Amino acid sequence: MSTSKGKIFGKDLLGLGLLFLFLILFLFSDQVSTSERMESIPNAWINVNTIFLSIVIEAIPFILLGVFVSALIQIYVSEDTIQRFLPKNAYAALFPAALLGAILPLCECAIVPVVRRLIKKGMPLHTGIVFLVAAPILNPVVFASTYFAFRNNPTILYSRMGLAFVLSIIIGAILYSIFRKQPDQLRNKANVSLASHHVHIEEDQSQKRSGKPGFLARVRDTVYHASDEFFMMGKYLILGAFIAALFQTFLDRSLLETIGTNTYTSTFVMMVFAYLLSLCSEADAFVAASFGSQFTDASLTGFLVYGPMLDLKNTFMLFAFFKARFVIAFMITVTFIVYFSVIILYGLIL
Amino acid sequence: MKNYDYSFHAFIQGIILIGFAMLILSLVLTGNIVYYIAPSMMPFIYFALVTFFILGIVQVFRSTKNDEEDSSCGCEHEHQISGPSWLKLIIYGIFILPVLFGFTLPDRSLDSSVAANRGIQFGGGSNPQAAEGNVNSATEAENGNTARAEAYLDDPEGYLDSIGASSEEEEEHYTMEEVYDEEWFDDYYQELAEEMLEKDTVLVTDENYLDMMTVLDLYLDEFIGNGIEITGFAYREPGFDPDQIVAARFAMTCCTADASVYGTMIEAAESGNVEDDTWIVAWGTIEKGHYKDQQIPVVTDAHIEEIDEPESPYVYPNF
Repeated sequence: MSTSKGKIFGKDLLGLGLLFLFLILFLFSDQVSTSERMESIPNAWINVNTIFLSIVIEAIPFILLGVFVSALIQIYVSEDTIQRFLPKNAYAALFPAALLGAILPLCECAIVPVVRRLIKKGMPLHTGIVFLVAAPILNPVVFASTYFAFRNNPTILYSRMGLAFVLSIIIGAILYSIFRKQPDQLRNKANVSLASHHVHIEEDQSQKRSGKPGFLARVRDTVYHASDEFFMMGKYLILGAFIAALFQTFLDRSLLETIGTNTYTSTFVMMVFAYLLSLCSEADAFVAASFGSQFTDASLTGFLVYGPMLDLKNTFMLFAFFKARFVIAFMITVTFIVYFSVIILYGLIL
Repeated sequence: MKNYDYSFHAFIQGIILIGFAMLILSLVLTGNIVYYIAPSMMPFIYFALVTFFILGIVQVFRSTKNDEEDSSCGCEHEHQISGPSWLKLIIYGIFILPVLFGFTLPDRSLDSSVAANRGIQFGGGSNPQAAEGNVNSATEAENGNTARAEAYLDDPEGYLDSIGASSEEEEEHYTMEEVYDEEWFDDYYQELAEEMLEKDTVLVTDENYLDMMTVLDLYLDEFIGNGIEITGFAYREPGFDPDQIVAARFAMTCCTADASVYGTMIEAAESGNVEDDTWIVAWGTIEKGHYKDQQIPVVTDAHIEEIDEPESPYVYPNF
């Protein structure tokens, strides 16, 4: 007993040490960051750091929002509710899922925890996927930013929104037909849903202890959940943001322009670029607009549709929560569907 | 998983959350947040700040309770940070590092090396057609429209065929038409242009920067010969003449990751003395020039003065 107490003491000390370090840095950050040693760091790395922190700080509020929505779903939405509202027919459920994506203004950072929670709560996999790819594009904020960035070229706005809606349904349908037999694609812990009923025995006891879970208990659980999920999601976001910052600083963009001269290659190049940049779907339209003079409308549309559906930072999150085989199938499907539909849309129709 | 030490993990997580809150608070208090986030996103940042403090404090309190069984959601197992000790160390390291970076590394705006990589836009990027020098004035475009309408009336089928024949041309016409279909868009910039033409000197400020870039693009002909005052950081591309320099600005929508670069070409005798990345203000006369087959506004006979970095190194879209 005494050793374990000593251990606990040591661990507490570790935490307090960390807190102390943060406090010192908080108070003296000005002196530290303007010190000569820090000033002598090569500018390129300062740029990486600036972009890295800007992505992290920018994404964190939206991750937190997503995590809170997910926590609320976990605590307030029962599995029956989801079953009741979704059509029984798998294909019929695709359409309402895309509509749901259009109603809920969630960006691609916030959407992953929410979709994961919904699937855990019994939403069919393919409907969750429709939601995952539709929601980051079909939302009012993205509509407005694309409108302003391309106010002299509304074709891009309408093809972005139209493609997002139609393609999300197609992608959902394709993934349904591939994984119809194995609907359980969440990483191992999904089977816990059975096991967790055993856990609930303990929980019942605790409820007996404290009476019925009151409002405060629910608030407390939401907060617990939110911080637990933040630590689940956060590490992938931070890793993804760091790699994206490296690409943003060291990838020579003039390379892209030499490759991107015709519609077929430029669309592909811009999609790869969208993937690597990992921009927020609310801001990517302005970046796309800055390419306006060198790139075709088709490639810009590819950039704007593909980026929010799939990018470096959310790939990390997807691999964390879904089985690898499924994530790879998802990535291939999304890539092919977006590429060919953009080519077809601009080649034949427009 | 045996002996998962809830209270230890809750405690460390609480400290890290408080660390994030302190980093954001410090950036807000020092004003250095402008290097990372656009002002329009600040409400979300305040939300994150408050949330982190609450979550952190709750998490620290949670660590003082010994048994974790009183969570009612029945999902605690999935939230455990699993794996051997070294993995836990790495995971917590991932969270701690950004906080440490944020406190220790200098807060600076992006520099001309990033500008070179992102590619500078001479003039308003919201109008790529103008950047190519295709649109000189609204009247010309209108003439274009009438001409094509007449062509259609004369020979409808032939005209349609001719459109289909060159899809590239069609695309350009399409965008051009759209420019002038958006009447309010046209009106807004026209009013701004008229307002600026009344003054002797066009004053490009942090607030009107992006709008003025677009106006100079659209109505360049009318501004020729007028005076201009413009601020930016010095930037050069290989192949510039010795007297040429660009006053550049980063425009940010949400965060620094999406910043794109706008610039105005300056021709001044003292250009050679200015180092890249120095902040400058330039006064001169607007002329029409060309760079890499693009028609761009050029500030000639300019006088340059070095200044301190402005309060807000970035410019933001006006909406």
